[in-house]
Order: sequence, then structure tokens, then C-alpha cells
Amino acid sequence: MSQPDDFSNDDPTQARPLDLSKWRNLPGKLMLVGALVTVGGAIFSWRHDAMVSFGFFWLVAFMFFLSIGLGALFLVIIHHLFDAGWSVPMRRLNEHIATLLFPWLAILFIPVLVLAPKLYQWMQMTTAHTPDHALTAKAPLFTFTGFYVVAIACFGAWWMLSNRLRYWSLRQDETGAAQCTHKMRFYSYIGIWLFALTLTFGAIMWMKALQHQWFSTMYGVQYFAGSVWLTLITVYVITMLLDRQRVLSDVLHEHQYYFLGSLFFAFTVFYAYVSFSQYFIIWNANMPEETFWFVVREKGTWFLASLIIIFGHFFLPFLGLLRIDVKSNFRIMSFFCAWAWLMHFNDMCFNILPVRFPNGFPLHWLWLPLGIMALMGGFLADRFLKKFASAAPFPIKDPRLIEAMGLYHPVPTQISGGELDQTDTMHGSPVRPKGGH
Amino acid sequence: MSDAASQIAVPVPPKELERAPLVLNNRSFGWISDRVSAITEGKAPKWWWAAFIPSFTLLGVLGAMLFYQATTGVGVWGNHHPTMWGWDIINFVWWIGIGHAGTLISAILFLLRQRWRTGVNRAAEAMTIFAVMCAGIYPGMHVGRVWFDWWLFPIPTYQGLWPQFRSPLMWDVFAVSTYFTVSVLFWYVGLIPDLATLRDRAKSKIRQFLYGLGALGWTGSNRHWSNYEKAYLILAGVSTPLVLSVHSIVSLDFAVSQLPGWHTTIFPPYFVAGAVFSGFGMVLTLLIPLRSMCKLEDIITMRHVDVMCKVTLATGSIVGYAYAMEFFIAWYSGSAVERFAFINRAMGPYWWGYWIMVTCNVVVPQLFWFPKIRRSLLVVFVLSILVNVGMWFERFVIVVISLHREFLPSNWDYFKPTWVDIMTYLGTFGLFFTCFLLFMRFLPMIAVSEVKGVTAQADPHHPAAKGNGGGH
Repeated sequence: MSQPDDFSNDDPTQARPLDLSKWRNLPGKLMLVGALVTVGGAIFSWRHDAMVSFGFFWLVAFMFFLSIGLGALFLVIIHHLFDAGWSVPMRRLNEHIATLLFPWLAILFIPVLVLAPKLYQWMQMTTAHTPDHALTAKAPLFTFTGFYVVAIACFGAWWMLSNRLRYWSLRQDETGAAQCTHKMRFYSYIGIWLFALTLTFGAIMWMKALQHQWFSTMYGVQYFAGSVWLTLITVYVITMLLDRQRVLSDVLHEHQYYFLGSLFFAFTVFYAYVSFSQYFIIWNANMPEETFWFVVREKGTWFLASLIIIFGHFFLPFLGLLRIDVKSNFRIMSFFCAWAWLMHFNDMCFNILPVRFPNGFPLHWLWLPLGIMALMGGFLADRFLKKFASAAPFPIKDPRLIEAMGLYHPVPTQISGGELDQTDTMHGSPVRPKGGH
Repeated sequence: MSDAASQIAVPVPPKELERAPLVLNNRSFGWISDRVSAITEGKAPKWWWAAFIPSFTLLGVLGAMLFYQATTGVGVWGNHHPTMWGWDIINFVWWIGIGHAGTLISAILFLLRQRWRTGVNRAAEAMTIFAVMCAGIYPGMHVGRVWFDWWLFPIPTYQGLWPQFRSPLMWDVFAVSTYFTVSVLFWYVGLIPDLATLRDRAKSKIRQFLYGLGALGWTGSNRHWSNYEKAYLILAGVSTPLVLSVHSIVSLDFAVSQLPGWHTTIFPPYFVAGAVFSGFGMVLTLLIPLRSMCKLEDIITMRHVDVMCKVTLATGSIVGYAYAMEFFIAWYSGSAVERFAFINRAMGPYWWGYWIMVTCNVVVPQLFWFPKIRRSLLVVFVLSILVNVGMWFERFVIVVISLHREFLPSNWDYFKPTWVDIMTYLGTFGLFFTCFLLFMRFLPMIAVSEVKGVTAQADPHHPAAKGNGGGH
């Protein structure tokens, strides 16, 4: 029998540790290539259309990575709110990703701020004092001041939440005190409200406002669903890689993969559900002030993009993840991670670009958004790795770590939300192989 | 887990963060069987009769009201122009909403491996079925000529009559009937091992025969358990989308229209969250007194109450987000009629209904942030009732306030229910509580076999399991 490779489904403790040393410089290379393409694209776009196209592509990439930052912040908050045990080993990853929201994603937002008058039609109308009921009705939100105040409030809230949650988590690594858990819960209590408000306003002001006449109460929920969907599978793959490198393997149990995979599956359905509901209600009522948003997106290749959302964002992962064992199959889940990145990119393009390119996706410009994605991705990955290296890879003194590890707790109680039948062993007993009995 | 895991200094949770067990006082398997079965075996206690007699009386009132309505016409209800939907649709949606907690607890929490569900799932499932029965009465009666209800179903007739498939009310028929059917199946499959327990304990031939009939020859063999668990898992998988689809489709009754206050894209998830919210409210209302009266404190523990309060808080907050988003987007849209519809909700003739809704559904659940509140059974009981008051008013706000002042001011009118509306609604409580009291008297209201599985001694690694051989 051949030796199992790094991605086999066999017991990972029997496989060779994964060697990622040759990938160490990948973020730097991505940044370099991305920067060259971005600068070239900016110059080209400057000559071509005064940086308008560049601004739209930058916004696509920014909203894409903002999704991951916000998704991670949500996963940290929800971990504390539900007093979860199983997700402790991945919480540190989420904490690091969430702290990318400030200052790094805030810095990446600066080009959007600068180019906003070129991107948002309503700003041009404000400057030109064009009478428009849909705009004046939104005052004072849709004013320059309103736009900047929302941006400051959003990044301020994200900074406060991600910073405080990470701070108390790292503090617990030192002290192991229950007080740190209480502090994190406190920030999660207020955090869930702040998160809901700021995510909604971010999605409305930065994406929906591209067509300010359009309105839908579902829009914030849809961006949220796509964001958490993308983050879950991203965290799944990072966890898997760290497991294979033996960084997390001591504290991981099988159920982490099952739960992450199940949540990814659930959010696949949830995203489809909210997207379909939004479309169906607007289509059925057939009111011009609402349908125009979809009419634009049925023209040219945007129609194909919408079909990709239906079949690629929903049907493929839905059907592919129905089986229980697939959720623990690293090869398949790695594929779905790459697929989810592609689908979310398509989703962001579908939401943002038809305003600038109403006849379809501008394939001749494809190199530019990919270059910006490489720049942002490389930059944020570099920041993430630095944060990861600066702290313990998982919350080493979290009181719920024992549950996550599948070790039996001496008090007669359940573990990991009730996985009694998956306990590995009792404290002090000989260690049994992973997988229970 | 690798060998190295044993090298890690794993911190043990401090006392304040320890999780409470799901079955208190280290109760044995036998004790659990005895305690739950005893509710169905002994003489009915006085409190049961005290609850059953008024419930049954109200059921009679319901029968009388429905007879009066069917023989007289829909005009006996308060529905009139422009509020052509009144208490009938309000109560339909309210009862359907309550019927959401059971299947959510049974199916979704089962798939998510949340084993705290075992203490409350059986009663919640029963509650679901009875709530859906109450809901079904309203559309069935609202058609006016109830003897033509069968036209709702796509049955080929010599007249060539077909239902209007483009109507959301038609979708309701399919969604609710499917949900009801699957919920009953799920409930029954879960009951089978416990019916066998009651059969084996039965002292009379009649009980033995009837419970044996329901137990389908269950012997507890390995093959039976294996088939049972597969069937349960499949039913959980089938039920899960139904939990979401039913109230989503109910929401489409309103959302696919063009009426301000109804036509809003967030309705499907907002209705589902509201339904789960009210469902958990009703589960708390029922189980808090029952755990005490049936002496089930060791099975339906404070931990169960605590978790259900948290679910109520979470769903109440989602509902609060939806209220805020509706108001915000009405303003954001710049549409004069949208803005008027929402201002009229908060400041029009029915302002009191709107603010009762906001208070009960958004403000009251926020009290569940405080552990002291969650630990006080009396307070939780009162708040759980307020949750359902609030959810009734939510439907009142959506239906009546949106309709009573629509586009043309000359059409405006003030809606008032009639005595038949009120008595019919009270009558549905009679149906609900009569069914629930009969259920708890004759069927195991706790999933005995499932609760045993979450005790400490069910874990083969636990010292307490050594005497049990680790089995169930």
C-alpha cells in the first residue's frame, strides 16, 4: 500500500507533514505582480476613461475581500454568543482575519473614497445639482458628508470589535482567566448589533448605491450570506492546511471539518434562498422602479453571469455537498474553496460592474480585476501570516478547548454540543485513535 | 487525536464556565422510563382535568362558531372593504408560525447535533402538529362554501376545474399540507421506540394492544435501531427545507403583491425568523409549567430553558432587524406611498398595535441577554407569553394596518373584529390545548430513548456506564 499523501482521507497523523516552504513567498509574488498590473491598469484606465473602469474593478476586489473580513468577524462574534466549543481551534484564524478590517482594508478603501465621485452617479448628480427625487429623498444619507460618515462609522466599529475580541483572546493565552471569556462575550453582545448595522450600511452605500434609485430590504442580508459562505470555506482550507502541517492537529477533532462543511452547505442554501426570494418577489410584482436593476443584468453576458450564480453558486455546491463524507474530504473541499472564490468574484462583478459595462462583462479588461485581486490578496495574506506568526496558533487556554479536542471532561456532562459518542478518551486514560469507538 | 495531544496542557473550564448536564442528578435509564411513562399510566391529576375541561369547552365553542359561519357566510366575520383579510389570515399566520419550533428542534437541531433538543423535541413536535391544525381551519373556512374546499387540490373533474396555480394561496395549500404530513411522519417515527416501552409496561390488554399497534412490532433489535436511525435522519433532511419553505410561502401571500407594507423582499427570511421566535415562545409557555406539574425538572432542565431563551433572543433580534430595515427602505425608496404606509403604522389610528408589536418582539426579548432573567422561570414564562402577544400583533400590523388605508383615501376605513372572530380565535385555543392535553396524557411527552442517550452513563467512557455495558 502506498504511503498516503498530504491530502488523503486517511488518518492525517499517519501522513507526512505538509511542507509549504516553497509557497512562503507567494504573498510577496502576488503583491509584486498585482502591483505591476494594477499600476499599469490605473495608467491605462486614466488615459482611457479617467480611471472610472479602474475604480469599478477596485471596488469589486475591495468588496470581495471585505466579505472575508466581515465573515470572519461574524464567526468570532457568533462563537462567543453561542458559547460554542467545537470552533475554538479556528477562532484564532478568524480573529486574525477580522483584524485585517482595520487598518488594512480601511487603507484599501482609500481609492474608493477618492474615486467615489466617478463611481457613484448620485455624487455626480449632487455636484451638478441635477434634480432627482430618488436622491433628494435620501438626504442627508446620500450626501458627501453622509458617505464619509458611514465609512468612518463602519471601519470604526469593525476596528473596535475585531481589536477588542482579539486582544482579550490573546490575553487569555497568558492568563487563562474566565474574565477574558466574559469580556469577549460582552463585545460580542454589542458586536452583533453593530455588525448587522455596519454590514448593511456598507453593502448599501458602497454597492447598492451604484444605482441609487433601486431599493430592496434584502440587499444587506444577501451580501452577508455570500460573505459568510466564502469565509467558511476559506477558513476550512486554512484549518486543513494547518492540520496537515501539524500546527493544529493536536487540537482538532473530526467534527470541526464536519461542522465547517455543514455550515458551508447551510450558507450555500441560505444564499440561494435570499437571492431567489429577492428576485422572485421583484419579478412577480413587476414594478418598474424595482425590476430595472434585474433588467440591466439580463443583458449581454450578464445573463450568463446570472446563470453562473444559479448553477455555480448554488446547484453545484449544493449537490456536491449533500453527502456527509464529502464534508470531510479535503480534495473536494479544496476544490469547493477555489470554486467559492470564483463564484463570489462573479457575484461581486454581477452586482457592481453592469453599471459601468451594461452590455456584459468586459473580458478585454479581465486582466485588471485579476491584477487588483492579486495585489489585495497578496497584501492581506502577508498581513495575515504576520499576525498568525505573532501569536499562538489557537487559543491555548480557552476553557472550551477541551471540548473542541474531543477529550472527555471529568464532570459528567456533554461535550461539543452533545457529541458524547465522539469522545476519544477520558482524562488520564490511554490515548485512543481519532474517531471515537 | 495524536499522541502529542496528551502532551498539551488542556485547561479545565473554571466552575463558572462549566456546562450543566442535560439530565440532572445522574438519573438512571430506569428512572427516566418510569418518570415519563408514569404521566400516561396513572390516574389523571386534578390539574389536568382543570385544564382539560375549559379547553374542551372552548373546542365546543369553536365547533359552534364554525357551524354558524359555514351556515351563514363569511360576513359574520369582521372582514369588509378595504380590510378584506382580517383575523382569519392573522390567526392563520400566527398559528402556522407557532408550528415552526417543533420541526426546527426535531430536524435542524438534530442535523446540527444539538442534543439539548432531546428534552423538549417530542412536546414541541406535538405542538407543531396541533398548531398547524388550528391554522388550517382559517383558509378552509374563509373560502365561504367549505363544501368546495376540495377544489383547492388539483383533482381532475368533469367540469375541468383547476386551481389557480399562480396564486400564493394555492402555494400555501401545498406547503402547509406537505409540512403537516412530514411533521406527523417525523413525530410518529420518533415515537415508535417509546410506544414499545409503553406497550411493554402496559398492564391492561387494551393498552398493550393499542400501544403495540403503534409500536409496529418494535423489539429494540440492532436492525430495528439501524433502520430507525436511517429513517429519522432522512426525515430530518426532508423536514429541514420544509421548516424554511412553509413560512416563506406564507410570506409570499403578502410580498408578491404591490401593496405598500406587504411588498418587501426581506419578508421570507423575516417570516421564518418570526415563526421560530413565536414557536419557541409557545414551547416555553407550555413546558415551563409542565416540567413542574409533571415533575420533569431533571429532564427539562434550566439549561434547556436557558438555550431556548437564547434562541428566542436571536430570532427576536433578527425580527427587529427586519422591522428596522422595512422602515429604513420605505424612507430610502423615496416612494410616497411606502413612506406613508410605515408612518401610518407607527402613528396612524392603530399606532398602539405597532408599538405593542415592537415592544413585545424587539424590546422584551432583549431582556434575555441577562442570565438572571433567563434563570427566573416566572419571568421567562411571562415573557414567553408576551412574545406570542407580540407576534399576533405583528400579523395584525401587516394585515390590518396595511389594508385599512391603502392607495385611495376614499377607501379608508377602520377595521373591527366581530364577536364571531373573537370566539373563533378563542376556540382554536380550545382545539390546541385539548389536543395537547390528550397527547401528554396518552403518549410519552418526552423522547425517552433519546434522553437516555444524552445521560452521562450512556457514554461508554464514563465510569457510570460500566454497569450498563454501555448500551441503551
